[in-house]
Amino acid sequence: MRIFATDMLAAIFIGALLAVTDAHDTTLTPSRISVLKEAVDIRKIPSPVSQIRSESLKREGIFRPNQLSSRVPGLFIPDYGASLTSTIYLRGLGSRMENPVMALYVDGIPVMDKNSYDTDWNDVRSATLVRGPQGTLYGRNSMAGVLSVSTFSPSDHDGFLGALEYGTANTIKANASAFFGNNVLSAGFRHGNGYFKNTFKGSMCDPYGGISLRWKHEKVLFERIFLSNSLSASASREGGFAYGRYSDGILHLVSYNDEGSYGRLNILEGLTGRYSGEKLSVDMAASVQFLSDDMKMDQDFTPEPVFTLRQKQLSGAGTLEAIVRKNASSETWIPATGFSAFWKGNRMEAPVLFKEAGIRTLMEDNANRNIPSEIGSLDICDSSLPVNSGFRIRTWGSAIFHESVWNRGNWQVTAGIRLDYEAGTMDYDCNSLLHYRFVPIMKSDRELGVPYSGRISQSSLQILPKFSAMYEASEGLLIFTSVSKGYRAGGFNTQIFSDILQNLTMNALMDDLGVHLDRPSVSVGAANTKYSPETAWNYEIGLRGSKSKFKAEASVYLMDVRNQQLTVFPPGMSTGRMMTNAGRSRSIGGEMEASWASGRFDCHISLSGCDARFVEFNDGNNDWSGKHIPYAPATTTFLGAGYWWPVSIFNSVSFRIDGGIRGHGPVWWNEANTIKEAFKVQLNGRAALSFDKWEIFVRGTNLTGTEGMAFYFKSVGKEFFSKTKPRIILGGITINI
Amino acid sequence: MNTNRILCAIAAILLLGCTKENADEAMKPENADFKGTVTVIYQDQPFDNEGIVVNFVPSDDGSTASITLQKIRFVPQMPVTIDVTIPDVKLVSSPTEITLSCEETIPLAMGGEYPRYKVTGLTGKLSGQNLEFSLKFGDYPTSYKGTRP
Repeated sequence: MRIFATDMLAAIFIGALLAVTDAHDTTLTPSRISVLKEAVDIRKIPSPVSQIRSESLKREGIFRPNQLSSRVPGLFIPDYGASLTSTIYLRGLGSRMENPVMALYVDGIPVMDKNSYDTDWNDVRSATLVRGPQGTLYGRNSMAGVLSVSTFSPSDHDGFLGALEYGTANTIKANASAFFGNNVLSAGFRHGNGYFKNTFKGSMCDPYGGISLRWKHEKVLFERIFLSNSLSASASREGGFAYGRYSDGILHLVSYNDEGSYGRLNILEGLTGRYSGEKLSVDMAASVQFLSDDMKMDQDFTPEPVFTLRQKQLSGAGTLEAIVRKNASSETWIPATGFSAFWKGNRMEAPVLFKEAGIRTLMEDNANRNIPSEIGSLDICDSSLPVNSGFRIRTWGSAIFHESVWNRGNWQVTAGIRLDYEAGTMDYDCNSLLHYRFVPIMKSDRELGVPYSGRISQSSLQILPKFSAMYEASEGLLIFTSVSKGYRAGGFNTQIFSDILQNLTMNALMDDLGVHLDRPSVSVGAANTKYSPETAWNYEIGLRGSKSKFKAEASVYLMDVRNQQLTVFPPGMSTGRMMTNAGRSRSIGGEMEASWASGRFDCHISLSGCDARFVEFNDGNNDWSGKHIPYAPATTTFLGAGYWWPVSIFNSVSFRIDGGIRGHGPVWWNEANTIKEAFKVQLNGRAALSFDKWEIFVRGTNLTGTEGMAFYFKSVGKEFFSKTKPRIILGGITINI
Repeated sequence: MNTNRILCAIAAILLLGCTKENADEAMKPENADFKGTVTVIYQDQPFDNEGIVVNFVPSDDGSTASITLQKIRFVPQMPVTIDVTIPDVKLVSSPTEITLSCEETIPLAMGGEYPRYKVTGLTGKLSGQNLEFSLKFGDYPTSYKGTRP
């Protein structure tokens, strides 16, 4: 049935492709297909590009997006929370909530839900990050860059690739890919007991268990149509949220009472195709995506029963894109015109449950603080109080774009523009029900229900231009400059609804009681919970060179961010923060990447430094203009080297050792810039004994056991940190037959 | 001409008769809201609560009423305002006004009886668009003057 559906899709594709293109014989092979949308070769993309291939990913132990941190200049994806917390900082920009500043594409398909970004890579051929705004070709959320992941193609290998490893925290990781005919079937499994103990419960708080599968089928039809279908699914169940209280300069152990867990089922079906004629080529990509997840979180992260959050989502999306371009060859002018559209629906339930201590401290005490004791006091009779929030969010958009590349002499000039329309609606249906008494006056309980429902909507139109010039100064040396614009999408704050309803409930209760507090009334309602797109202009100049086995790239940039999406303290709210377009910032920086190989030795270096600051930002309580943007490190550093030598007593046996130093910092953890973490480095390494068809290895991350921080936040006036992962050592075997 | 004079005289007599009949009829109390000023004598000084809304709700037979003062403060230091209802206020209607009286009653506030501010010596009147009354809330002499908005 599955094959039938795929064939049907393929037939529709072929029909569409034949209808719009000329038909000249041009033999097409999968190796010619790039998952990048640029018309030019990767070497001639006028933006800094980092590409890490499967062998390097394996040697450096990279199997999740966050492990690219520092390996790619300016990229920082801290590893904390759970798999849904893919907070991405690139070039000093980013925020921990809502939409990312970096778009993720897997085999040419945009991943529509950020909660699906952090998955295990078991079969990745290459990860390519194009830095700087790529709005013209990639549209939404490519404001600071695009990460394009390419998985194994059936033509990459013939046989079987596999790996099995075991190590610290009872971690078992296994993955295998079988190549047969036009297919690749990959599977992965990972289990770990976790690295951080919840001392209150006496158990590890971040165990992980997950499996993933991918079936990829590629076919060349009539020697000019190439189709690639990728169906992937992953399921995981994990703990997480290893947050320890930070007070008086001391970071305490993780200690909280309620469950912290995350479960996720991810399915992505993507079909890409290329028709390649003599003069024109047409790329098409379509996908259907599904996500179901369930997060349980102790919201106060203390041993007290204060409040918890459960967030369940059911999300589906569909995407479609087509690009028609003149074939590159040696043409002077290479135009490309495209269309894209998407639809995304999300049904979310996010009840916050106030427990005994939460009802007492967050509700009763807040109210009674303002009521003279001789009058009486409020007593909420429920032992737990649910504040229910349900949402249906629909987002859709479409775009048309054009990009032309002109080649003349040593010059390559690129100009493009994109019109990107996006709209969305959110239906919210929230309620709370409580029983209360005002003692000693009221003789019996009174029930109070507060419903809150409605719909809000928004739309936006973005114009995303791009201009770049590249000059080939000498053979292998390219100088480029570019001006481009990108954006990350707007959206709706859902997290703030529990605070809105909490405030509405307290106001309704006091009104019901006939007691009126002297405090600002709640001024934030559903209408205030939407936020607009954030945009960035980027001005960049760089150079790229290569000679023999030496490659280097360096650039400097200025990014000017407008309508910045920032979290603020809404007036009248007691604990909540919400995303709004509150400011403006700029990031000035430079990046450098170089690699060199000689004989048995190879090395790689990635460096970045930036000064990212708020130009305007008032969070409702304070003006943070001029402060460093928090969470994003000012510098990232990676130094890696490897050396191998043959083991002379055996044929086809070699020994290889790799080492890598990763560093980042300083990081300012709050807007006031009062909590600062200095530059920290970690040492990673791998040693492998390779035979003809297999190898045994031992590898480690954070071998120096460096203690660092991955995340900071405040909840109900208390500060918390999440630490980086400790020393991890694993040993295993890989097979290549 | 004479006929006209006679008709006018008859009309005038009828009108006077009707007026006399209405003037003799007692005012019927009805639900109404008033907006005015509550003055509480606190430490021998008047403390004014301006813009106070009072709900006047008579009983079905019109013999009593409950009077709710919304968002009042008895002393300047009170950090909250409260709604206070004075039940069982006796009403005596006359053709021109309704007099209010209550020797002693326990007001209702915050969901129940609130003896701390026991009402004593309430007197007042409702005439036309105006409501005024005075009383003691506990130890605090209090008066209200308001009009229908």
